[in-house]
Amino acid sequence: MQQDEPTLAGLMAAAQMGDRAAYRTLLKEVQRWLERYFRRRVAPQQLDDLVQEVMLAMHNKRATWDSSRAFLPWLAAIARYRWLDHLRGHYRAPEKPLDDADYAAPGEEDALHARLSLDRLLAQLPDKQRSVIDLVKISGLSVAEAAARTGQSESLVKINVHRGLKRLTSLVEKAN
Amino acid sequence: MKKTNQSLIDDLTEDLQPIHPVLPRQGLLWVAAAALATLVLVVLLLGVWEGVTSGRASAFFFITNGMLAALGGGAAWTVVHMANPQVGNSARPTLWSTLLLAIIPASAIITETAHGRMDEVITDVHGFACAMQGIAFGMITAGALIFWLRRGAPVSLVAAGTLTGFAAGAIGSFAYGLSCPFDSLGHLAIWHCIPVGFCALAGRFAVPKLIRW
Repeated sequence: MQQDEPTLAGLMAAAQMGDRAAYRTLLKEVQRWLERYFRRRVAPQQLDDLVQEVMLAMHNKRATWDSSRAFLPWLAAIARYRWLDHLRGHYRAPEKPLDDADYAAPGEEDALHARLSLDRLLAQLPDKQRSVIDLVKISGLSVAEAAARTGQSESLVKINVHRGLKRLTSLVEKAN
Repeated sequence: MKKTNQSLIDDLTEDLQPIHPVLPRQGLLWVAAAALATLVLVVLLLGVWEGVTSGRASAFFFITNGMLAALGGGAAWTVVHMANPQVGNSARPTLWSTLLLAIIPASAIITETAHGRMDEVITDVHGFACAMQGIAFGMITAGALIFWLRRGAPVSLVAAGTLTGFAAGAIGSFAYGLSCPFDSLGHLAIWHCIPVGFCALAGRFAVPKLIRW
């Protein structure tokens, strides 16, 4: 099925009225959309967890979608909120860095997706903050490894991660 | 999370029940009821100052309270809409309203200082009580907005908290202001605007914890 806005909005409207078949179809489409949305922004091992977290949040908060408004921006706002929570959380585990094969092809993003892109948020951070968030929170390196790779001290890496996440939150606040 | 995506989809589908959407117009009615309750409480407890009903209050009185009401209404409108996740900067109108309101204390500080009356304004024996009552009456609106945000899914917690404070402080101060017989620029600009700043600051730090989901 094409993940177009009117179709998804129609499915969501039916789901709000209790139509399970429509909801199942919607959830499958949402799952694909979220996988694509998060693929470049979380380690592959964490992708399923985050997608499921957002789907659960979407289920619990499905009443907050107003059928007079578009569906995808609503979903993207929830996804971004959960993504930031995910970055903030102490979930870090020894992960292998992403390689090129883990990334989605850049040409896949449509106009709406580009507008809502998480990359745009990250791109607004200063280089030092962006690089350590990428290394520590997304690629899963330790603080020491990130320090060695960027030439920053370990304390500075921690400070830049903290400041970067704070700034990301503020950017999302402004964007919302 | 251990489930596979497919089993999660099965579970969520199984759990699906018809729901009533959380619509902004319901939230607006809810907040309007809270603001009305605040006004009724002020009228019952303190009464309305005769200068309001006769129209003899100073122009500053009507301008300040009018701007407080406009800021409170605008901020409350924004907060109610923030309960529904969306993309787009909805807080900007409130920022402009706040800047407009800020003209009043700024003018008061400049003119009262120039006339050497700033000390009188600051040591105004009624001022502190006015500010406290404005804040206290604002708690009704704050409660209504927090309740609404908890029903919804705000994704900008800090902004929602700050705006909740703006709305509560402005509506509380406006409602209380109808009973206050002091209508000088200095008194209104400082002591009736303090609740707005105080509640915004309190909302910025206290509300996000209450509305996180």
